[in-house]
Amino acid sequence: MNIVLALGLCLISGCLAISSAWTHEAADRSERLMKLFLSVGFGLSIVSISFFVERLLGIVHIRATDLCLTTLLLGIYFWARSRRKSAHSIVSRLPDLRLPPWLQNFLMASFAISLLAAIYATVLRALVHPHGYGWDAFSIWNLHARFLFLGGMHWREGFSTLIPWSHPDYPLLAPAAIAHFWSYIGQGDPIVPSIISLVFTFATLGLLVSALATLRGVASAALAGIALASTPFFIEQGASQYADIPLSFFFLATVALLHLYQQRSAEIADGRPLGLLVLAGVAASFAAWTKNEGMLFLVAFVVCSILSALRWRRPPASGQLPLTSMRELAVLLLAIAPFLLLIAWFKHSIAPPGDLFANPETMIQKILSPPRYWAILRWYAKQFLRFGTWVVPATALLIVLRFLIPSSGTRRRETARWSSVMTLALTLCGYFAIYVITPNDLFWHLRFSLNRLFLQVWPSALFLFFLFLGRRASLESQTEPNSPRNEANC
Amino acid sequence: MPILPLSESASPRAKAAILLFTLCCLLSTIRILRQAPSPARVSPDNISEQSDQRFAAVKTRLPATGVIGYIGESGNSSVPDYYLTQYALAPLVVDRSTKHAIVIGNFPYSPPSDLPPNLRLLQDFGNGVLLFAGGDAR
Repeated sequence: MNIVLALGLCLISGCLAISSAWTHEAADRSERLMKLFLSVGFGLSIVSISFFVERLLGIVHIRATDLCLTTLLLGIYFWARSRRKSAHSIVSRLPDLRLPPWLQNFLMASFAISLLAAIYATVLRALVHPHGYGWDAFSIWNLHARFLFLGGMHWREGFSTLIPWSHPDYPLLAPAAIAHFWSYIGQGDPIVPSIISLVFTFATLGLLVSALATLRGVASAALAGIALASTPFFIEQGASQYADIPLSFFFLATVALLHLYQQRSAEIADGRPLGLLVLAGVAASFAAWTKNEGMLFLVAFVVCSILSALRWRRPPASGQLPLTSMRELAVLLLAIAPFLLLIAWFKHSIAPPGDLFANPETMIQKILSPPRYWAILRWYAKQFLRFGTWVVPATALLIVLRFLIPSSGTRRRETARWSSVMTLALTLCGYFAIYVITPNDLFWHLRFSLNRLFLQVWPSALFLFFLFLGRRASLESQTEPNSPRNEANC
Repeated sequence: MPILPLSESASPRAKAAILLFTLCCLLSTIRILRQAPSPARVSPDNISEQSDQRFAAVKTRLPATGVIGYIGESGNSSVPDYYLTQYALAPLVVDRSTKHAIVIGNFPYSPPSDLPPNLRLLQDFGNGVLLFAGGDAR
């Protein structure tokens, strides 16, 4: 019964948060599914932050506090709903790939097969490895969860400098979420981290498919879904109980919400849906609460948002739409601020300093060492070609696909694309810089982490690829109500 | 009802590309299925649970919180053994040092040898788990 209450409050909290900010009625099933998958990730983040704050303040009545939080979110939801404008938005998708029925059916069948295979393999892996696959599960994430759950007033001792290998500087989304559910059931059952890991895996897949279906159409969504579900490394990590897939979820959420915000801004005559921009900022903040790489992503996202706002201060060129004005930038930064403060406080008061900047002299020597750059570039190139352990390399396939299905048309409404691509590119550059200055053996560090860093951006890369694959000039001129394509809707 | 822009039908080249891409994806799906554990032989890897059980008895003799020392075997398993010990004994912090008042010994594969002179055996819990008193506490 307790676990049902915990799950219910988690999902309801997520739904209320999403629905409060996503103020326009969901037009179709794909949009409702997108909201659902976002609610799952947001709900887990909310309970994670809630539990951490409860630990900070010494609150022992977890359930009562969670009920108060849910009630508060409910109040915010009703307030937002009362301010909602009554007219429904007119949803206009980007033109989808127009496929003959036999190919569309083949695509759907292939998606179903790959999805079922992914579920089958991931669940079996979770059963065989109930404590995660690899060391990081029990030496970092679940260990921190045990300190949070069992430590009582002494939980901070788990972030001791005596156990530096446990990365006590890592943020606490996964550990606090795990400890939250453990506190409801009264024991540290390993099934909790296992289920959270699986939930994030399939929420990422679901979000990718539903976001593309909402923004473009079923064909693009199915292709992206097949690509992600048939990535062996994604499936392998799906049951690992590492934090890379939750991080990839929030990267994807940020990018998808940014595009949805841009699309809706172009369609809605009565003001921009700022709530979607706020949700994008909150998703990036949750990424920063998940792993240190998420902090890099958040910084990159903020930088790109600022550049986007500054870039469009002058009157935009014909056909261009600014993504964020200065006012909207201010709203975005205000949305991110509380989470940034929480993370900054955690880094300052709880977590010991990381080892990355511990030795400035050695760091400078490494920065001035060209062979390191060359070595990292070679590994990046190798990983780019081999990523995912596909039978036929995925990146090569995508390049061929892009070559055979080129895009064309005007560059209207591509500021979200620019912002998303720049954010991901800056994040990968940040990873590169970390490898340059790493205190660990460079080749050891690359070997055991680079593929997971690529995994973090993989769902977002697939989203952007299939959102823009084969887009045509018809984007501008052909908008017909009652289009025969309506039959292809989810 | 969503309003959808009309787009051109996919060219034969595009259809072929999508077909080829999907087939290649399905090849990887086959790899996923082949790499998945056999459902007939699902045997949980309970290494963490076994570690928890090994240290369950000694945990009752240890303080609830604080820092204790650790000594274990050398070799390839030394690091994972230590990590699993920390995981089992959380929320105690297990420092890989013998300079503590209480030191946990973990020797799952062979009896301890060449122990530091400051360690005095308090109790042998069996299965390679030993509890020591450390002479030079930090």
